[in-house]
Amino acid sequence: MLTLFKNNIKPVSELTSEQTAVEVKDLNLWFGEKHVLKDITMRIPENKVTALIGQSGCGKSTLINCFNRLNDLYDGCSYNGEVIIDGKNINSKKVNVSRLRAKVGMVFQRPNPFPMSIYENVCYGLKLQGVKVRRHLDDAVEKALRQAALWDEVKDRLFDPAMTLSGGQQQRLVIARALSLKPKVLLLDEPTSALDPLTTLFIEELMESLKKQCTIVIVTHNMQQAARVSDYTAFFHQGKLVEYADSDTLFTMPEKKQTEDYITGRYG
Amino acid sequence: MVKPSFSGLNAVQRQSLVISLTAFFTGILLIALVSVLVLITARGGAYFWPEPIFAVSIKSDNAQQSKTLLANVFDDDAQQEVRLKYADAGNPYGTQLLVERESVESLSVALDSAQIKLNDGRQVLAIPDHVITPEGTNNQLSELTRVMQKVALLSEKITTLNTQFLAPIHEALSRFDNRDVAADAPAREKRVAEFNQYQQQVLNLERQREQYRLAVKFADGQSFIIPVSNIQSVDFVGRLSLLEKWQVAISEVIIFLTESPKQANTSGGVFPALFGTVLMVFIMTIIVTPFGVLAAIYLSEYAPNTALTTVIRVSVSNMAGVPSIVYGVFGLGFFVYTLGGSIDSLLFSDTLPSPTMGSPGIFWAALTMAILTLPVVIVATEEGLRRVPEGLKAGSYALGATKIETIVRTVLPIASPGIMTGVILAIARAAGEVAPLMLVGAVKFAPALPIDGEFPFLHLDRQFMHLGVLIYDSAFHSQTDAKSASMMFAACLLLLVVVFVLNILAVLLRTRLRKRYLEG
Amino acid sequence: MRQVALNTHISATFNVELENLRNSVLTMGGEVEQQMVDTLYAIKHNHAALAEKVVLNDLKINSMEIQIDEECLRIIAKRHPTASDLRLIMTISKAITDIERMGDEIERIAKLVTRNKLPSSDTIKSSMVLIGERVIDMMRGTFDAFARQDEEAALEVYRQDNQIDSEYKRLITYTTHEMEKITEDMQDWLDVLWALRSLERIGDRCKNVCEYVVYLTRGTDVRHTSLESIHQKIEDLT
Repeated sequence: MLTLFKNNIKPVSELTSEQTAVEVKDLNLWFGEKHVLKDITMRIPENKVTALIGQSGCGKSTLINCFNRLNDLYDGCSYNGEVIIDGKNINSKKVNVSRLRAKVGMVFQRPNPFPMSIYENVCYGLKLQGVKVRRHLDDAVEKALRQAALWDEVKDRLFDPAMTLSGGQQQRLVIARALSLKPKVLLLDEPTSALDPLTTLFIEELMESLKKQCTIVIVTHNMQQAARVSDYTAFFHQGKLVEYADSDTLFTMPEKKQTEDYITGRYG
Repeated sequence: MVKPSFSGLNAVQRQSLVISLTAFFTGILLIALVSVLVLITARGGAYFWPEPIFAVSIKSDNAQQSKTLLANVFDDDAQQEVRLKYADAGNPYGTQLLVERESVESLSVALDSAQIKLNDGRQVLAIPDHVITPEGTNNQLSELTRVMQKVALLSEKITTLNTQFLAPIHEALSRFDNRDVAADAPAREKRVAEFNQYQQQVLNLERQREQYRLAVKFADGQSFIIPVSNIQSVDFVGRLSLLEKWQVAISEVIIFLTESPKQANTSGGVFPALFGTVLMVFIMTIIVTPFGVLAAIYLSEYAPNTALTTVIRVSVSNMAGVPSIVYGVFGLGFFVYTLGGSIDSLLFSDTLPSPTMGSPGIFWAALTMAILTLPVVIVATEEGLRRVPEGLKAGSYALGATKIETIVRTVLPIASPGIMTGVILAIARAAGEVAPLMLVGAVKFAPALPIDGEFPFLHLDRQFMHLGVLIYDSAFHSQTDAKSASMMFAACLLLLVVVFVLNILAVLLRTRLRKRYLEG
Repeated sequence: MRQVALNTHISATFNVELENLRNSVLTMGGEVEQQMVDTLYAIKHNHAALAEKVVLNDLKINSMEIQIDEECLRIIAKRHPTASDLRLIMTISKAITDIERMGDEIERIAKLVTRNKLPSSDTIKSSMVLIGERVIDMMRGTFDAFARQDEEAALEVYRQDNQIDSEYKRLITYTTHEMEKITEDMQDWLDVLWALRSLERIGDRCKNVCEYVVYLTRGTDVRHTSLESIHQKIEDLT
């Protein structure tokens, strides 16, 4: 029989561990007494965009902060369970957190370029890794900026302060900064909530092209955005993973009533 | 219904009353500020401006005949008396006189008379008459410039002989003394002979120089002789055009800024005090900045959020309110006597009992001021650190930076305007502080600068002069005549200028940093 | 003329998806057109095997409709299309229903051949082929108009339907005369009449699709209006 449309998105249940970039097993997390993440188990597929949606405070940002151990910065945070990246449980004490964070890039809600030149911003991570040779830095900066689709706009003013860029450019600069370290996983924490709709589309398009190189996990409040950009979507509610499926299924035929209510705007 | 209001005013009236009140008090504040500036500037500026010389005729009490004086007139309209600063044969270097306004018969500008400033800071008001030279006795007054040049040449020769020949020989002799070389050793005798020879030359030159003299006359016709070598300048104030008056004033300013005080801080310049102030503030800044910044970084970034931290924070803020004299006493008791005494017994035991570090000095003064200004720097720095957006720190951590890397590469540059603010406040405070300094090293007259050509070039143990102390001293001990009182104001003006300049520099730096790190 | 530009979105994936969708409709249309051509051939040459193939092939067209419908649903859910994109999706979603119906009508005609119930009268047969060829022209014009989003072409096709209608009426009258002559096998005659009716219906379906094309490019709903008022409406807009 003739197939008109190709679909290479596997259902979540068929994902093998080889195709998994981040595997979460029975993750529980507390801030002080507050139980923020409850028994999260999920496989985040490689070279795909996975969106985490849910109400504010449902734990989705906390979950991606677990992927680069950024939660360690907060007082009173404790967790158990496993997060496996590259075959290693990153929650183990032996993990070099700096190296982990270099491997798992992160982009935040508000564009946060450092108050330095564009060039230095992109170099920041590399210099921390001890790269000093000017030529290597130059190459890496150009490559990262190209990947972030920013090179053509800034190539003539690499040494201007990063603050002179527009909001969308700043966010792409921050993405380039993360890409300069060639991360395996790129975590985006509401990357477009501070940007206008058109710039948002550019960033989304950028994600589409980036997933060839890395796995992208995006937290978003914007359901439409999750639908547009993601291959897989996970819906969280009060610290629990309610439903996790490929986006086509989740946004057309969600299994759980809770999910249906949330994505159709019937949420009580 | 209109609500009844206090004193029967309606809402609009009440509002305008509030506005008028606030504006009134702001106006008073402005007037106070402006009057401080105007007073200091006017009185301080007057010090540099050449005072016109008048020929004043005064009715004497006993006789009908009047007496004429050459004087600077200080006429205060509010008072009955006119203050005259005059010179005559009895008081060639000037004295003061208060006369009733009515007793002044006539007042005319004395065109021929000149203000003759001497090298030792005194001055003579008189009519220059003629120049006396070794060749001929009565030379024209026009010769004066030429003669002064000649004398300057001679003085230069004498200085050269003193520094290049006499001083090394003197040093060599004192070395012989140290080594207990016998007084009749041939080498020593040779040196002594050389010394005597050069000293003879100097004496000859000095004798020659003394033969150049200026004869002047006072208003009553009595004459007075001044050696030309003592004269710094001769200004015919009455004949000066406005431009020339400016020139005189500027040269006065230069002298004020570059020379040492003379006549017990009533004349001459304030260079050592200016230098001492700036150097002390500089050393203090070097000490206080790292201390304050590091402490603030610990408090804001590392310290756990416990009650102890809060207590520390509160006490740091309270330290800013401790009276400065307390710091002075602390500095004297702890730094000078305890710390300095220990250093002396450890490192400079060979010169004891005369103290090296164990006496008040510029380093202890700077250290005391550093302690005094530390809270200011800590509080301002902490404020700056708190303003660093959490997102930037998180961004840095997310790129694999450790805490210390994040602080050094991201937090500190962004907090630098805040740090600069703290340092500015500290500088302003330290430059103006007087009380503690008098206890720990500032003196009204210091024989040498803390920096000179002698090893180790920066003498941290030396006492130093400070503008604030100089003003204090001028205000209480030297207000003998009108002119020297205005030197106090001039020093005040200078202190203001120094503080302003330091502040403006720091503000410029802060603006640049802020532009670079915040606005981009 | 305002064309819906499919390839100018910021999202390249969206461009590809829309392009694929449109192409799939054209593929489906081409398939249906081929079915019609085969059916006419089968009628002309009484080729039962070919007609059988046409009947089987209709399943493929049905499956295409389902796939395209699913894709439309998916795109609406994921991309939230608006304005011209939304009209395109809605147009496609409706047009494929009509196209699928065309397939069903063709299947009915083909079944005439497979059941060997073609009318014995050569006149009727050749008239059927004649109308059929006109219908093919119309289908071709319709899909062409859709592909190029050409409302003028669509209106041209719209006009052709009148001819088909008049010929259909003529043929019906003729066939009724024939039926009066040969009154046995009434059931077979009914099948012939249904097949004739199917031909005419295909023309109507083409008309529907043309109306969607006008809606797509103009955003005006021209259904249930006469040709003149359609012209009028379009002129008002331009």
